Amino acid sequence: MSPDTPVARDATVEEPLPLMQAAYLPGRAYDEMIASAGVVRPHYEVLQDRIASLGAEELGERQRTLERSFLLQGITFTVYGAESATERIIPTDLFPRIIPADEWATIETGLTQRLTALNAFLGDIYGEQKILMDGVVPRDLVLGAASYRREMQHLYVPHNAYANVCGSDLIRGEDGAFVVLEDNLRVPSGVSYMLANRDAARRTFPGVFFQAGVRPVERYPDLLLATLKAMASEWRSDPQVVVLTPGVYNSAYYEHAYLARLMGVPLVEGRDLVLHDNHVFMRTTSGLRRVDVIYRRVDDDFIDPLTFRRDSSLGAAGLFNAYRAGNVMICNAPGTGVADDKAVYAYVPDIIRYYLGEEPILPNVETFLCREPSQLSHVLANLDSLVVKAVGASGGYGMLVGPHASAEERATFAEALKANPDNYIAQPTIQLSTAPCLVDGRIEPRHVDLRPFILSGDKVVVTPGALTRVALRRGSLVVNSSQGGGSKDTWVLAEETRA
Amino acid sequence: MMLARVADSLYWIGRYIERAEHVSRLSAVMLNATLDRTQGAVQTGRIGLAALGEPDSGRANQTYLAAHDLALDRTDSGSVVVSLARARENARQVRDQITTETWERLNLLYLRIIGPEAERAFDDDPAGFLQEIIADLHLFKGAADTTLSHGEGWRFLLLGVHIERAQLIARLLEVCFSDGKTPAVTEPIALMSVLRMACALEPYLRVYTADINSRFILEFLLFDEDFPRSVRFCTARIQELLGHLGGELGVRRSDALRLAGRLDARLKYADVGEVEATGASALLTAVAAECASIHEAIYATFVAYPLELGLPA
Repeated sequence: MSPDTPVARDATVEEPLPLMQAAYLPGRAYDEMIASAGVVRPHYEVLQDRIASLGAEELGERQRTLERSFLLQGITFTVYGAESATERIIPTDLFPRIIPADEWATIETGLTQRLTALNAFLGDIYGEQKILMDGVVPRDLVLGAASYRREMQHLYVPHNAYANVCGSDLIRGEDGAFVVLEDNLRVPSGVSYMLANRDAARRTFPGVFFQAGVRPVERYPDLLLATLKAMASEWRSDPQVVVLTPGVYNSAYYEHAYLARLMGVPLVEGRDLVLHDNHVFMRTTSGLRRVDVIYRRVDDDFIDPLTFRRDSSLGAAGLFNAYRAGNVMICNAPGTGVADDKAVYAYVPDIIRYYLGEEPILPNVETFLCREPSQLSHVLANLDSLVVKAVGASGGYGMLVGPHASAEERATFAEALKANPDNYIAQPTIQLSTAPCLVDGRIEPRHVDLRPFILSGDKVVVTPGALTRVALRRGSLVVNSSQGGGSKDTWVLAEETRA
Repeated sequence: MMLARVADSLYWIGRYIERAEHVSRLSAVMLNATLDRTQGAVQTGRIGLAALGEPDSGRANQTYLAAHDLALDRTDSGSVVVSLARARENARQVRDQITTETWERLNLLYLRIIGPEAERAFDDDPAGFLQEIIADLHLFKGAADTTLSHGEGWRFLLLGVHIERAQLIARLLEVCFSDGKTPAVTEPIALMSVLRMACALEPYLRVYTADINSRFILEFLLFDEDFPRSVRFCTARIQELLGHLGGELGVRRSDALRLAGRLDARLKYADVGEVEATGASALLTAVAAECASIHEAIYATFVAYPLELGLPA
């Protein structure tokens, strides 16, 4: 393959690619690349030039190289059939999604503000519960949430950092402004795809990458390790950190192994851990070794069969007691899910104002709580234009996209809503922004979201990059990988692009 | 210090890799022999099948079918495809412990043999297909050797390789010279095939010149100190590796090391003339049995030790 040298901007390249004219027609959603009437946004110009000079065949070849490299690296998930198991790669698009420096600055301060407030909220509700007494957030909404862990009450958490790793989902509305769609404070995943996509994009468009001036994401693993170590720094000078995985059959196993490898710490399963005298040990070839910090990639419910689900074999019996005794740190802390509950979400702007006395930098999506009778009737009357979500569910399950649903589906959902209104929220259907993707040899707009990763230990750090998830079906607004979504690299530019 | 489960997986990667290579090589040699219409060729086929525990129906086309199944039958637990799938599954479980270079070699090999192209490639040129697998396995071993740290994990990987290899070579020699069921191999063409099955023809010739007889073959494949596929070479490595591991991990007395030392001494000080006079049977049986005991002892010492013994002081 010829090296991807920066293209001189000569006359032939100035012409837009015929392929683009024929196929790339953004709809009414905000498009990341094209402003209006076919004008390319300044920060996309370098990439657009390169795409134009390559042509469909060469782009297809690069896409195949990219997919082969993912397969070879084992960046796959397993699809289990009747007799055999096949491995598939997560669909990955070769065009990066580019975010200009000023927009990123807003995202960065906004996310830092948001996670700081959410950690303060968690510290409060598992402590004095002032925010409930002041009536800012309804008491039953918090204490009645399935993700609320009474066992966490009055436990000391260093730096008040309950959620050490947060992956918030941002989207752009039709006006182009970023809003927060949801927060993921439990065990957010996808960061390995951010890093793998970056690795691939550097090889696919080296010249463009260099010219654009992209901020690096490669420090994520060492920043994560520093965050985890900071959680035990008060009582251990060099804490032993491990990554706890459910095992090789988990769909995110690649990520668990990847992070363990890049942090240089052991990847353990529940069966490797032994509890003795309220301390956690791992079974090594030279006997049992003390474990100080567990970056667990196992849900709350499964970490300790003695405290939570009795049928779980993924965690270690007695782990929570060792945590309560202060002999081990579990990251993220159990019970963080209550702060990313879809009903609590509606109160996050109030939570920010309450603890920080600031206005939220990144707004929420307008949200209707079906538990309020007046809002429920509004939701029922407008089902055909709203997205309805179950508060406990995630991953794109238990959700109704009103405009795309049949009358029958809407009727079924309406019954469920009336039967159990507490369990649902509704939001207007937002046309997520679109970005160019290579689909069957053509460049077409596809809806995307943005998942940046925020670390919080002794300080809050936002990695200048993100996972951009792509809804690969034309017109689809669902980006979850379990629902046919893919991903692409996200370039955060270091400097303002001059138009 | 590494997780006991990880050490166990690395050990098994070594065993499965070695098994896949051996089965590929035996099949390739058998397939080549089918092209000749000599008594030696027929014997070669028999040796190969017997060493791999396959039934021998005596038909000529049996070799091709047997080689096919040994390579690609996913229901046969001894086949190359199953060994590679298991090696790769173990590697996936310890993905954080092995280098990307090592992992990608193994993953590539696995993807090739599990993929839809494998059947056709085998039909086109079965011996070539098997030779390529062997070459790819050498690439894997080379990548492991040049990119992994030669520490604890590396030693567990090599332990698996050498224990498996000692057993496989002992089994091959047993079939050729001492199992009592089939007449001992004397036919020169067949004897050459035996050397090929152990990847030993060229190194043998350099030591003994082209004088190929069963006494020298036994001597070479049992006792040679420098040839990497002789039993003695393997037992010396096993003892050495266990000695290092015991020292690093603070295991003062391990059964595994004692057994390995005893087996190595037995081979080191064996009398070749006596082995030839009384038959190699007793020695070969002992090698197989001792290797099995060493395997058990490694597991008991490093992986499944009683918890109360493992607590830090």
